Amino acid sequence: MNEILTELNKEVQIGDADKVKQLIQKALDQGVSAMDILEKGLRSAMEEVGKKFETLEIFLPEMMSAADTMKAGVEILQPHLESGSEGGKLGSILLGTVEGDIHDIGKNIVKIMLEGVGFEIMDLGFSVPTLSFVERVKETGPNMLAMSALMTSTMVHMPRVIQFLKDRGLRDKVKVIVGGAPVLPDWAKEIGADGYGDNAAEAIKIAKEMIK
Amino acid sequence: MIQFWDVIERAEKGKSLDVNEWDRLVGKTTAEVVAKFDLKYDPDNPVPADDALADRMYEAGIELFARMGIFCIDTGKVLQFTRQEILEALENAPDRAVYGSGNHTVKIPHRTVEDPRDPIVNFSAVGTPVTEELFVPVCQSYAQEPMADTFSGPLITKFRDIGVSSGSPVEVEAGIWNVVKLREAARWAGRPEMPIHNFMSIAERTDATIAAARPELGALPGDGLFVAAVAELKVDYERLKKVAFLLHSPYVIGGLYGPLMGGFGGGPAATAALLVAHHALGVLAFRAPRHNAFPVHIHNVCNTSREMLWLVSVTGQALARNTHLVTFANAFMASGPCTEMILWELSAHSLTSTVSGWHLNPCAVAKNRQPLHCSAMEPRIHAEVGHVAARVGFDRKEACRIVKVLLEKYEKQISQAPIGKSFTECYDPVTVRPRDEYLKLWDKGKKELTKLGFDFELIQQ
Repeated sequence: MNEILTELNKEVQIGDADKVKQLIQKALDQGVSAMDILEKGLRSAMEEVGKKFETLEIFLPEMMSAADTMKAGVEILQPHLESGSEGGKLGSILLGTVEGDIHDIGKNIVKIMLEGVGFEIMDLGFSVPTLSFVERVKETGPNMLAMSALMTSTMVHMPRVIQFLKDRGLRDKVKVIVGGAPVLPDWAKEIGADGYGDNAAEAIKIAKEMIK
Repeated sequence: MIQFWDVIERAEKGKSLDVNEWDRLVGKTTAEVVAKFDLKYDPDNPVPADDALADRMYEAGIELFARMGIFCIDTGKVLQFTRQEILEALENAPDRAVYGSGNHTVKIPHRTVEDPRDPIVNFSAVGTPVTEELFVPVCQSYAQEPMADTFSGPLITKFRDIGVSSGSPVEVEAGIWNVVKLREAARWAGRPEMPIHNFMSIAERTDATIAAARPELGALPGDGLFVAAVAELKVDYERLKKVAFLLHSPYVIGGLYGPLMGGFGGGPAATAALLVAHHALGVLAFRAPRHNAFPVHIHNVCNTSREMLWLVSVTGQALARNTHLVTFANAFMASGPCTEMILWELSAHSLTSTVSGWHLNPCAVAKNRQPLHCSAMEPRIHAEVGHVAARVGFDRKEACRIVKVLLEKYEKQISQAPIGKSFTECYDPVTVRPRDEYLKLWDKGKKELTKLGFDFELIQQ
């Protein structure tokens, strides 16, 4: 069993979707549980991919390829996951880059990593209007709202979103984390965010701690 | 010859593509081009003296741009250009940029590899947040530097205690204030008509920029404005609107390109090819007579690590040898002001850039995120090293030898670089003079650099 999961882990990292699909089928045929395949074959691979990206052993294209491969694997695994387990999801996160900011590379990296370790991500994209964040929190009830900004002139929208959440009685219903190049931990605290991630790895750590 | 109108038309009528597909296509195409032209990062040669490599890098960048084009975020269209159109645009691009007017004119020629002429230096507190009270003293410290050919300012995040958010009326007010205060700083520096190469650092939106772009406020004819591409090879209508406005104005357009090493393109060689391609974007879509490159490491947000210096060097050489463009290297430091580390980072980046054909645009410091952490001492150091490097006549091999010694002094600390000291710790904000601690530190640095072959007496004559 370990051998096939190790191979699966390796192929996810390489980004060979066809091979991964074959291996998942083979593992299922051998009686390996869908959850074990998900946790030990796919998600563990993405955790390693994340670590390699942090040290630039690999670059973003390789990470994106691994993420695409994992998604392809999860798709064929989904019918085999126990109903009620929500596919082993750790929680739901609403994610977006704040209003006026069209730089979304950081947000996309965080998205890949959060999805990779098992969070359900609702990606609102970039330059998300302040009120849209609030409306989507109300509509979807995520466990967490994660906002990103690359520019100093746009990060100012983060406290506005938090204020609107308070005004509409939603602040206590969702955890809020912030990140991005100009965002510093002290500022995150000052604006009333629950957490701050300096990079994707920190964002994952915080998300895991806050959504239990 | 492609006109700006053709660019707009292609942004409306080009092939549709999903932005996520575009991002993936960048990685795939860049990898193919890098393999085809056999481009390999060499850690042993951060300043390579390899003309063939530089020429292959140029060809790779042009092929990459011809295959990819530009993605317009607002329309979801790809603006495609033929190789013929690209080469024609580069051939017809300006070979000089001119800032200012009358006795305050700054003429900037194309620079060549190992050019013995002094680089032009744009002094800039790139994107550092400061307070309203310190904005003028900080700007004055930059404008008064003798080696500053032009200057630009930091930014404020609060105006009259309200956050300056993009798209708000506060942004328009703060943008106007920005221009007024920059010109005021030039006046207190004793250079009232000194060219400002980027007169807007606070406002992002085009309407706020246009509102502030008036000579009576301080944005004089011959000042400039940067228009930045979005990584990688993307533009949006906000940017193209700025270009449309600037083409009808007396202001100099500066193309600004910051591909992320480790990002959508991939590693150092891939990102270098992307940076070359971005210059074609700047010529065609931004109509820029001068170009600014700020490639940065995706995690460390600097361009002073070994692979980043290699990238800066090869790209500079590729453009200097194969085009007549006016190109500037933006310096991004990991460490902060008044640290020993920043002396070596600034020196390594300046020397690498100067011998590789770039003019200089120093600098962002402390990973460009620490409020109030900037001073004019950093661009002074960068400018002095660049001027001396040109006057000594360092070639690339000699520069490579020195850069390797400098890297040994700081490269292991990059991820945990010290943030250094704030402006008021580096300068007396009343007299706007650097404090002794920083001056002594730089004197010590110059002694070390002298041992490596620098002759600082060449800039004291």
